[in-house]
Amino acid sequence: MVTIGNAHDDLIHDAVLDYYGKRLATCSSDKTIKIFEVEGETHKLVDTLRGHDGPVWQVSWAHPKFGVILASCSYDGKVLIWKEENGSWSSIAEHAIHQASVNSVSWAPHEYGPILLCSSSDGKISVVEFKENGTLTPIVIQAHAIGCNAASWAPASSVSLQQNERRFVSGGCDNLVKIWKYDELKNTYIEEYVLEAHSDWVRDVAWSPSLLTKSYIASASQDRTVYIWTKDDKATTWEKKLLKDDKFPDVCWRASWSLSGNILAISGGDNKVTLWKESLQGKWELAGEVDQ
Amino acid sequence: MVKLSEVERTATFVWSHDSLPLLATGSAAGAVDLDFSASSKLEIWDILSSKLTKEPIVSAALDTKFHALAWSKKYADHTNGMLVGALENSIVQFWDAKKLIDGSSLDAASIYIGKNHSGPVKAVQFSPTEDHVLATAGAKGEIFIWDTNKIDHPIAPGKAMTPMEDITCLSWNNSVSHVFASAGTTGYTSIWDLRAQKEVLHLNYTSPTGRCNLSVVSWHPSESTKLVTASDTDGAPYILSWNLRNPREPEKILTGHKKGVLSLDWCPQDDELLLSSGKDNSTYLWDPKEGTKIGEYPTTANWVFETRFAPSLPEIFATASFDGKVVVQTLQDTSPPVSSKVSTSSNPEEFWNQLSETDTQQPEFAVKKAPKWLKRPTSVSFGFGGKIVHVTQPNKDEAKSTISITKFVSDTNVEDAANSLTA
Repeated sequence: MVTIGNAHDDLIHDAVLDYYGKRLATCSSDKTIKIFEVEGETHKLVDTLRGHDGPVWQVSWAHPKFGVILASCSYDGKVLIWKEENGSWSSIAEHAIHQASVNSVSWAPHEYGPILLCSSSDGKISVVEFKENGTLTPIVIQAHAIGCNAASWAPASSVSLQQNERRFVSGGCDNLVKIWKYDELKNTYIEEYVLEAHSDWVRDVAWSPSLLTKSYIASASQDRTVYIWTKDDKATTWEKKLLKDDKFPDVCWRASWSLSGNILAISGGDNKVTLWKESLQGKWELAGEVDQ
Repeated sequence: MVKLSEVERTATFVWSHDSLPLLATGSAAGAVDLDFSASSKLEIWDILSSKLTKEPIVSAALDTKFHALAWSKKYADHTNGMLVGALENSIVQFWDAKKLIDGSSLDAASIYIGKNHSGPVKAVQFSPTEDHVLATAGAKGEIFIWDTNKIDHPIAPGKAMTPMEDITCLSWNNSVSHVFASAGTTGYTSIWDLRAQKEVLHLNYTSPTGRCNLSVVSWHPSESTKLVTASDTDGAPYILSWNLRNPREPEKILTGHKKGVLSLDWCPQDDELLLSSGKDNSTYLWDPKEGTKIGEYPTTANWVFETRFAPSLPEIFATASFDGKVVVQTLQDTSPPVSSKVSTSSNPEEFWNQLSETDTQQPEFAVKKAPKWLKRPTSVSFGFGGKIVHVTQPNKDEAKSTISITKFVSDTNVEDAANSLTA
């Protein structure tokens, strides 16, 4: 186990490993982002990135085929793109169309190109493509009436790539989970499904990266529950299932799938991470716990 | 600020407790509309839904105007809560909100008409700790405590230390259910203890520029001995924060309003956010702990007499002003200045449309301070090879986090045998 304490001067809101698991990016209410090199049981601070005017909520690593690139989003309403070249980091682009806090940021499946998905407290979601010539072309949609907390891409499959069928899921302060589908003609994303189950803010949504014939989405909420939403390719509705019947001890803040998509991690306000796995009978079972 | 909606009424208002709250408005007493009509209306607006209608979902006429409104939580068979009006004609009227929304008339939706006050009723507030209890206050220092389970027997809170004039503001303690505060034209803020059945404390303050009329009061969202008061005196327009452990002197004095303060609201979800509004046509956001102003919202054309957070959705608040508007807006706005906002369009027609729609005045907001409800205290993410990165806040009172990287090795346990080290 690697433990990093006192990395920032204030709360840390996100920490993500890069594609190879060698570098760790962290972000904090102290307005900075830090990059660590992690090797075995050791870690080393490489750089501190300053540029945001407010707490930095989330970071996302781009696929290595685009270079060593990191995106970050902040309460200052901005998304910044950072790049490492010859060992030094600098900010190379800024996406500042949101009118309030940007709460989540994530890169699209790399097959789509360098495209970012951002969700904001202004209720909007933006999908931004970074073009070769350095320009940004954002698609902005009104997503959740009063604030959007999270958004997550559906994985790219050979079928979805052929048909250019791009989807993502979003969660908001209206307690709703929504599925969005790309409309090539209108060049925007259309609301495909509205999923109702939570009784309080949806804090995180995560679309499983597994490429089965069934899609899996986890939604974590302030109401101390997690729902698993599933849909067969041929089905026309999403099935919902509570991850566990009774409530979690505290707010469910984050949901993350393992890279193969078969394990789901949930982090709660009680400082615990629980790991979940679906049994052959289709029941969700506790597969482990990370405790500090 | 992102202005979400605007209701063209000179009205007092209250939010419902729903996660997508409704707004109820009642024609404000003591104000004249443009058409000089004496008629009064109780209306309910679904302003935050995606429907872009500007019409109220409930609109009913009365023959008396409102000094204040209160909206209870869901209670017993009142699935949308109870609406209570503090009326100019000395009546306290209770309505079932669900029946109003379903289209019943005011009479059909009426639960009770309280006639205990002898003069105009100027303030009403439900207890935050006991859903069925509320307080009303008004002219001649009259205060009544109502229990909606035995609605026809309101009680007086007990003995006042000195005779009082009009009471215009009430605030229940957010953790001690038998304590509340009242304030008004008498000049001081009174603290009442229902268990002791009397007024237990007087708060007053004379500033170097003159005596403060402490006419507005709001309790700390969680700490029972702390509250803020404000003065509507133009010569001493201060907001004072108090700790009742030493009631002789305020802890902090928040200066910024240029004329008297008329309304305060301490955010229930974040004790570092306090809204104020006043006779200088301004609405400000404060950090009462630090005593600093952290936001300024667009000024109006007349006094802003009321400002309130939506209780279940503190990103959003409303202000009511005597220029005939109730404006619903968001706490934060990071959008660029107006000039660059309109120049993005190349179509000239669109330019003028946008220009006329855009407020010419931009608010100032120190975006550096984020509200507590946005601060994720924990996170988890999977990395290559089954690695799990976990962020925790070991001590809830300390803004420090710890990161750990563990490895998920099998279906049943997590490897945690390796060495740990600290940066």
